[in-house]
Amino acid sequence: MIITRAPLRISFVGGGTDIKEFYSRYPGRVISTTIDKFVYIVSNQNTFSGKYILKYFQTEIANHPSEFKHDRFKEALLHIGIDNGIEIASFADLPSKTGLGSSSSFSVALMKALYANQGKKISKEQAAQSACELEIDILKEPIGKQDQYASAYGGLNVITFNTDGTVDVEPIFMDFKFKSKFENHMMLFFTGMTRSAGSVLGEQKKKIDNNFETYKKMSDSVLEFKDKLLNEDIKGMAEMLHEGWQRKKTLASSITNSETDVLYEKAIKNGAWGGKILGAGGGGCLLFIAPPEKQQKIQEALDAEAKKVGLVDFKRIHFGLTSSGVDILFNS
Amino acid sequence: MKTYIEKFADDISFQMKNLPAEEIAKATHIIQSVYERDGRIYVFGNGGSLALATHWVSDFNKTVFSHNLDANIKRFQAIRLPSTESEITAWANDVGFDMIFAGPLKNYLQETDCLIAISSSGNSPNIIKAVELAKSHHVPVIGISGFDGGKLNELADAKIVIKTEKGAYAIVESVHGAILHLFTSYFQDYFDHIVKRDEKHKK
Repeated sequence: MIITRAPLRISFVGGGTDIKEFYSRYPGRVISTTIDKFVYIVSNQNTFSGKYILKYFQTEIANHPSEFKHDRFKEALLHIGIDNGIEIASFADLPSKTGLGSSSSFSVALMKALYANQGKKISKEQAAQSACELEIDILKEPIGKQDQYASAYGGLNVITFNTDGTVDVEPIFMDFKFKSKFENHMMLFFTGMTRSAGSVLGEQKKKIDNNFETYKKMSDSVLEFKDKLLNEDIKGMAEMLHEGWQRKKTLASSITNSETDVLYEKAIKNGAWGGKILGAGGGGCLLFIAPPEKQQKIQEALDAEAKKVGLVDFKRIHFGLTSSGVDILFNS
Repeated sequence: MKTYIEKFADDISFQMKNLPAEEIAKATHIIQSVYERDGRIYVFGNGGSLALATHWVSDFNKTVFSHNLDANIKRFQAIRLPSTESEITAWANDVGFDMIFAGPLKNYLQETDCLIAISSSGNSPNIIKAVELAKSHHVPVIGISGFDGGKLNELADAKIVIKTEKGAYAIVESVHGAILHLFTSYFQDYFDHIVKRDEKHKK
């Protein structure tokens, strides 16, 4: 049996510049961090019966992986060539489609587990690459590469997507004092609305030529955000998130909707320094940077607003920052 | 005599003022990651470096938590390699001296772990064997070396090298001791902070 896990991530600045249509012309950059919420994959060889069994929110049993309905499991098994039976289950700390990169965390944990099942230990780079291959090349999802790399490597990183297709991951080291202060300034809320990144990114991709200069600015702003982080300027980072969010809203109509806009404005009015929607937009999570003494007021205002507009699943997510990426927790 | 003492102190001060801070930060990041995934830290070296490793293990397994021995927090699992003298002699006598670290390491090593390899020259064959074993499993290696860093510095993920002329063991090992104490201090402060924070949250 093999148990792997891969962390979810919060992306601060630069999201969207990780799609090929952009980074093949100008280096894309993203700055993001992993958090203490994970996707787990448990897999076990099933050579005795030779059956293929999947357990996610549904259960599938098949004589061959090609019969599976779950695309990712199916293509991953076919790609790696598992041919003598396997049973795989997935678990997650948070629901999918929250904008925390969970679908790529899933792929990263899955590829790590399936290669280990074949007796092959893969590096962080290989885990990220193979997850990208699965999602972008095989499944043709219109998504970028930031989430696979963020989850595979772990920690707070500047990730650069070079024009030749290679990716550089530069870790930013914070001491625990600043890390703790930074954590205390962040508020994360699940809006209760879910969306798939593909639908929003599809629209973004079509408009890339019109918005090329905006994307360039987004990529360059990652370096500025990194400087603010290294100078421990939390308010400055918050203001950058705010600007970035205003800029990003111009890229596709589906990036935001009126409910999230109202929630965002409420948080700012009640003392948040800045924030953004996480993920490709159109729902998911809201991240705010706010002084600790204002957080109770912000939370009360948002809870009340969410109740008013009927977002029954609206909820604050408490989290911590982490350093470790995809890991094999058990292999026996 | 005074001049001799001052010269020694100057040499050490020079190294202390020029510590490879980025690589030391990388090493603390590796240790933090291992803690998060509940892995183990294996530390080893030859001669004086083995003594440093032994000292560090007791610090890391106990001193780091000494202000919070009753707190209900996950602790470090640092292990000096080999953990018994019998294993050193068994591997050296039966297989070869170059296997005294890699041999026992193979018994324990999991992907969640990390290594701290201490070698002034960075070229001791028994150290390199263990480091190569770890690398083949994608287990991160913190290399603490001196002189020109040798092969250990090439292979390590966190490359902490105290650059000196060849053979300056006294300087190199003294600074290695300080770096290892820096890890201990950092994580002791870290856990003091965590425990205080959690107590505040409970209130």
